[in-house]
Amino acid sequence: MEDDDQRVVDLVKVLVHRLLCTSSQSNSQNPNASSFTPQEYNQALKYSLRILSSRMTPSIAADDSAMAESIKRRLATAGKSSEALTFADLYAKFSHKNGPGSVKNKWAVLYLLKTISEDRKVRKNQISNRISNGFLDSALAGGLPTLFEGDELSGGSGGFGNSSVGRSTDGFADLKGSSENVRNSRGFSNLENEKNEDSFSGLTANMKKLKVMGDASSSLRAREHVEKRYNGGILVVSKDPENIRDMAYRDFVDLIKEENEVTEVILVRDVLYACQGIDGKYVKFDEKADAYVLPELIKVPRATRIMVRKLCELGWLFTKVKAYITESMDRFPAEDVGTVGQAFCAALQDELSEYYKLLAVLEAQAMNPIPLVSENASSGNYLSLRRLSVWFSEPLVKMRLMAVLVDSCKVLKGGAMAGAIHMHAQHGDPLVNDFMKRLLRRVCSPLFEMVRTWVLEGELEDIFAEFFVLSQPVKAESLWREGYRLHAAMLPSFISQSLAQRILRTGKSINFLRVCCEDRGWADAATEAAAAAGTSTGRGGLGYGKTDALESLVTEAARRIDKHLLDGKGDFVQYLMDIVGPELSEAANTISSFKLAGLLESAIRSSNAQYDDPDILERLRVKMMPHNTGDRGWDVFSLEYDTSVPLNTVFTESVMSRYLRIFNFLWKLRRVEHALIGVWKNMKPNCVTSRFFVKLPHAVKLHLILTSRKCQVLWDEMNHFVSNLQYYIMFEVLEVSWSNLVKELEAAKDLDDLLAAHEKYLYSIIEKSLLGERSQNLNKILFTLFDLILRFRSQADRLYEGINELQSRTTDSSSQDKARLQRPSNKKSSEPGSWLGEGRKDLTRRAGEFLRNMGQDIDAIAKEYSSVFEGFISQLPIQQHVDLKFLMFRLDFTEFYSHLFVLHTCEPILCLVLAYLGFACIVLPLGRPFQFEKCTLLG
Amino acid sequence: MDPEATRTARDSLELVFHMSNILDTGLDRHTLSILIALCEMGLNPESLAAVVKELRRESPPCSSSPETVATPP
Repeated sequence: MEDDDQRVVDLVKVLVHRLLCTSSQSNSQNPNASSFTPQEYNQALKYSLRILSSRMTPSIAADDSAMAESIKRRLATAGKSSEALTFADLYAKFSHKNGPGSVKNKWAVLYLLKTISEDRKVRKNQISNRISNGFLDSALAGGLPTLFEGDELSGGSGGFGNSSVGRSTDGFADLKGSSENVRNSRGFSNLENEKNEDSFSGLTANMKKLKVMGDASSSLRAREHVEKRYNGGILVVSKDPENIRDMAYRDFVDLIKEENEVTEVILVRDVLYACQGIDGKYVKFDEKADAYVLPELIKVPRATRIMVRKLCELGWLFTKVKAYITESMDRFPAEDVGTVGQAFCAALQDELSEYYKLLAVLEAQAMNPIPLVSENASSGNYLSLRRLSVWFSEPLVKMRLMAVLVDSCKVLKGGAMAGAIHMHAQHGDPLVNDFMKRLLRRVCSPLFEMVRTWVLEGELEDIFAEFFVLSQPVKAESLWREGYRLHAAMLPSFISQSLAQRILRTGKSINFLRVCCEDRGWADAATEAAAAAGTSTGRGGLGYGKTDALESLVTEAARRIDKHLLDGKGDFVQYLMDIVGPELSEAANTISSFKLAGLLESAIRSSNAQYDDPDILERLRVKMMPHNTGDRGWDVFSLEYDTSVPLNTVFTESVMSRYLRIFNFLWKLRRVEHALIGVWKNMKPNCVTSRFFVKLPHAVKLHLILTSRKCQVLWDEMNHFVSNLQYYIMFEVLEVSWSNLVKELEAAKDLDDLLAAHEKYLYSIIEKSLLGERSQNLNKILFTLFDLILRFRSQADRLYEGINELQSRTTDSSSQDKARLQRPSNKKSSEPGSWLGEGRKDLTRRAGEFLRNMGQDIDAIAKEYSSVFEGFISQLPIQQHVDLKFLMFRLDFTEFYSHLFVLHTCEPILCLVLAYLGFACIVLPLGRPFQFEKCTLLG
Repeated sequence: MDPEATRTARDSLELVFHMSNILDTGLDRHTLSILIALCEMGLNPESLAAVVKELRRESPPCSSSPETVATPP
């Protein structure tokens, strides 16, 4: 070890010696000094040893390739790219030299070289003390050398002279010293850039000193310096603009100081206050101008004034928004502002808190000047008015939006407010769009909450009347139709009408189920629906912009609840059918007895209805219609069906009354049919009558035959009519409508469809059975016909009673002789007007009279009947309803009546024409009405 | 030293000398060889560079100000 140390010392000695020799040789100013003195030598040696022992470890990592790289880079940036390449080449060779005799510590050697070369460069640099050029670096690195008169640095390839320094040392001595100080204080570092900047910064600092001193003399001297250089005819590469710039700058500063009474700092602070709605020292709120302005008295340049005014727009908008928020908050307890309004205020407040944050940051910046990247540029105060305007641009946009919203929403509430905000949100600018969406999401959350509870639970929690579904307190049976309805004003525009309808319907169904059917099963359906639609039943699942989620939820809920409704409550549809069926079949089956009330039971028992559901039978009741005197039992009889709550919605009062009408009509029809059948029973020929015929005298017989024939003919017509009408009603009207109803009920998706189908059914029945308003006339005619038929029936009854009596009289009279011998006079048989005891002649006469009368009556009836019937038939074709044409076809398939009718009306005309022209072909135009009928019937 | 090593050493020195010329250090071969030897011995190259710098510096003003020689580091 000591060996090494000794060796080191020896080497150092030699080194020192050599260096001193070299340097003394290069010193041309002392050509006489051949060598150095021994004391110099010793001193140098001591010094070197001290240096060497002071730092033992290098300050950077030992990486020779990195070192080589950095050297190369330095060379390249200095513009010596060819040399860099050469260096690279050399280094490559050097690094390959391994083995004995080679340099092991290559890194150290490289580092050494680098440092020495840098030091040399710096040394060359520091000597130059001129007022700088901005291109110091390039000048040093390889720009054109500048020459000064009498200025030469020996051995320097591009040295700068000291003579210039010396010439103006008085002004620049401190400069040199200061730059040296700056350099020394930095310590040793190996980055050339830093070194250069060091000197540069030192120089600019000196420039500042110049400025601060405000010493015109130095600048003058500098200018002289420049001029001198020019005068010397020397090529000056470096520029010297800073001086002029410097002067201009100072003039500018003076100018600004004059113009501005108030400094910018204070103005900025005032503006920041104004933007929070507070009056600053100078910037105050002007009522007349309705803005924050600087009063005219304060002297500021116009540009500043305008800028302040622009920035204070933000303050104006801010006060507007804040006023709205505080007002709403105050009004809230008075229940004027709804939940949606509250949400809106909350959202606005959040945005304002963001704004406050920004203002706080800006204020902090306004207080402290923030250091900039380049530490030499003095920033004064960081926040200027212009900087403030840049910062404010985005908040200004947002505040403007908020103010616009506040204006438009001042008078709205609830869904209308949400709709109005939505309209504003249709904007192309993504910033505006995002802002609006955020706001809207919050504003609509109470609305969506209400929808959710309505759709899933049927609850309307709407204290402030903001929801678009309104409820009205009604009785249970009109719950479905009128209990809830849509309030169009509160419907926000992003919920379409169809969706709103569906929402309404879903909630209605739930309420209906709950109130009318007392069914709790829908709760499960609701939760299932919610789960299926992907939202939780908890709050906040829905939101603005998820309108399709809302739709899907509503659809799901509606579907499930309807399903539940339609098939859950014990066959609601089945009930419907069961109700309607017996009503009509009752009419068909209870003609066996026409006694009143108590016999309904027996009637039902005897009919097929006993096989029906006892629940339904209970509900059947006989009701007495309000009747006038003279009405017989039949007229006032009607069935009533008592419906309970869930069915009440379908079977309202009006519906029941319509059913009643249909029932009565059918009842009457049945009654007429029954009457005719009764007559037929009487008319049946039997052996009694036939025997009776034989016994009668000829005249009476003839009469009898005639009358009975008339009777039969009329009966036949009437029967034809009634039976066809009945067939028509039964099959073409009732059955068809029934099957339609059944089909539609199967396909019904919800209660509304059900109701609609039922309505259609009733309507079609009523129309087709001529009970509707359009067929009032025909109805009257029909009932007239019915009356006629009943009259006929009574007449026929009388006729056949008479015949029977006559017959019994004759048989009696024949057996009377026998009976008279056998029995004493029978008191029982004493009747007023009886023919007992009269002779045969009287009998015949009476019979004849009777028959004639009867015949006349029947004739009258027949005539009346046929005329009315013709009228009826004639009116049928002009009815709109297509099915009536079928009725007409059935009644008149042979065109017997229409023919008659036409003939009757056209008779006189026909005669005239025929007589006049005597052409057969003229019949054709007359036959046109025929053809028309034909077409309509067969077409 | 065997001739191989000698040659290597000489070549290395040449290379380093060229490099130092590129970098414009102003060192001649002899000084350079001493410096290399000192580096090989493990001295801090930074301090060596400082020595070189200081000893060079003192020469130009040595005529005017000899006291600058002994300026403490």
